[in-house]
Amino acid sequence: MLKFTKLSLTAALLAGTAGMASADAITLEPGMETDMVLLPKFLGILVFDQANEGAQEAHAELGNPGSLLFQGPTPENSVAGQIEIMTTAATNAVGAVLLSNNAGDQIAPAAEAAQAAGTRVVTWDSPIPGGAGEDVFVAQVDFGSIGVVMADMAHSILGGSGQMAVLSATPDAANQNAWIAAMQETLAADAKYADIELVDIVYGDDQAEVSYNRALARVDSHPDLGLIMAPTTVGIQAAAKAMQDEGLCDQVKTSGLGLPSEMVSYTMNGCAPEFALWDFRDLGYLTYYTAYGLATGQLTGEIGETFVAGRMGEYTIEEDPGREGSKRILMGPFTVYTADNVEAAAQ
Amino acid sequence: MIRRLQSWEGFLFLVLIVIIAGNSWLSPNFLTVGNQINLFQLSIEKIIVALVMTFVIINAEIDLSVGSMMGLSACAFGWMFQQGVDPRLAIGICLLIGVAGGALNGWFIAKVGLPSLVVTLATLIGFRGLARVLVEDRGVSGFPDWFNALGQRGLIGPVPFALVAFVVLFVVLYVVLQHSGFGRKTYVIGTNREVADYAGIDTARHKLVIFIMSGAISAFAGLLFAARVGAVRGDVAQGFELDIITMVLLGGVSIFGGSGTLLGTLLAILIVLSLRNGMALMNITGHIQTGVVGLLLIASVLVPRIRWGMKARAAA
Repeated sequence: MLKFTKLSLTAALLAGTAGMASADAITLEPGMETDMVLLPKFLGILVFDQANEGAQEAHAELGNPGSLLFQGPTPENSVAGQIEIMTTAATNAVGAVLLSNNAGDQIAPAAEAAQAAGTRVVTWDSPIPGGAGEDVFVAQVDFGSIGVVMADMAHSILGGSGQMAVLSATPDAANQNAWIAAMQETLAADAKYADIELVDIVYGDDQAEVSYNRALARVDSHPDLGLIMAPTTVGIQAAAKAMQDEGLCDQVKTSGLGLPSEMVSYTMNGCAPEFALWDFRDLGYLTYYTAYGLATGQLTGEIGETFVAGRMGEYTIEEDPGREGSKRILMGPFTVYTADNVEAAAQ
Repeated sequence: MIRRLQSWEGFLFLVLIVIIAGNSWLSPNFLTVGNQINLFQLSIEKIIVALVMTFVIINAEIDLSVGSMMGLSACAFGWMFQQGVDPRLAIGICLLIGVAGGALNGWFIAKVGLPSLVVTLATLIGFRGLARVLVEDRGVSGFPDWFNALGQRGLIGPVPFALVAFVVLFVVLYVVLQHSGFGRKTYVIGTNREVADYAGIDTARHKLVIFIMSGAISAFAGLLFAARVGAVRGDVAQGFELDIITMVLLGGVSIFGGSGTLLGTLLAILIVLSLRNGMALMNITGHIQTGVVGLLLIASVLVPRIRWGMKARAAA
């Protein structure tokens, strides 16, 4: 746990210095009118509703007399639906579309047409891969830092030594694979992790039942297992439930990336003492500030531009290291949830 | 005139007028040229396939594999493009894949005699699987400019190539279905295949031709989709078959075959697109939009039955 606080502190300090370096941060003028559309991957997912809450908070705070509409497609119509909503938003001449992209590069022509019609396109959570049609991407965390976070949680839960297994989503999920690789690098690079042994990596296909069974099977095949690390919200919940149902929580702990509202009971009863995630409310809030600044012409969207995003402080538009020629704003850092803060976050 | 309005097409026409009037009244953007083109463009691949689906259903069959064939064609194009195949050659090969896929469906249905529901359900899964094997979920983009322009820019003024293709295809298929021997055979076979057999019609060959048409046009539509969005992924056009069949049934084509017209399908297409677009402009999206289109389909099944019941009572 101590390691954690240190990590967050370092991240906070880094963010602080970055902020101070550019003294002329732009403070956005409130009360200007611009209509916005918040476009999630699809409807019915808790984290997108949370992002909407954050955006609505910023909308009220900035006193924008225009509208902020939460519009998403149904899950089975996600790609075509996102393209349709993007196109119609441009026809209605909204100031900005806040997009969590589920359509890959297929949305690029519609987004470019929207930009040509004067609509700003700000992505969050999931960018347009090629970057075409996108003003800026608000990234939740630096994807590389996730390896350190998971390694530190493992270190803290196992008390420095023990066996760990990874329960991931699908074998070809690009983001999860990158995160697991980052964790393996971290484990290998630092001597303090020398006594932590990664014994197995298995896949629950992001389905609750498959993940549940795979988690139990790991306990059978590795009698000395101390921790299951699941970098997926589906996997971590299924693993924690499996350990709880079988009364194994004293022996095998669960950790990884999870939603406070889904994990709160497992954290309070000790089955999953620590897990991490970024805050989707904050992500929605920061995305709204970015989009508002761009749509009202107060921000130009150039690299190096720094502005104040309300309660969250200063942020700078930078080059996206993962996508050449694209721009991002890095939110970060992770929030680590424990028995101390999980109940408040689960509200 | 009154007789004409009493027909299903007349009823659809009235509904369409009401929707257009309502949309124009509620949104100043509805009747702009740009929006009207967008309205067609956003669903252009579906409505092109709906024209051929009209033939399939009047023939008392169903083709559930059209969405997967659109996906397979688009993904095959993306895959070949990645492998360095000349895009023009790739387009030709994709259309041939459509012909072959349609022939596969048609052979099992017409020659072997299996139900089209089962055969095309199997190919729905098979074609989709193949599409996913080819490009997986990674996505392929970076097609040549001329290819993307075909899907995204105006060909005749602001009217894009796909919309021109839709209009031409409608005129050709209208003449074929309503004014040719092939069209009359389509109705006769759909009404009663045995009678058609006894009348000396080669019903198996006829069905085979219709399924090949369906496969080829679906492959064509898949390419249009790839050009419009400038990228392909394994899930291209997934689930499109239900929207397509919905439009055809709403157009008054009987699921039991033998009746319906291409004009009905066109009116139903215009109704669904205008309704969706109007709702989107008024910021009604997602589940409510899906629900309204669903209610419309239920109404389209119920209204003719109620009218038929009233007529029967009046006669008695």
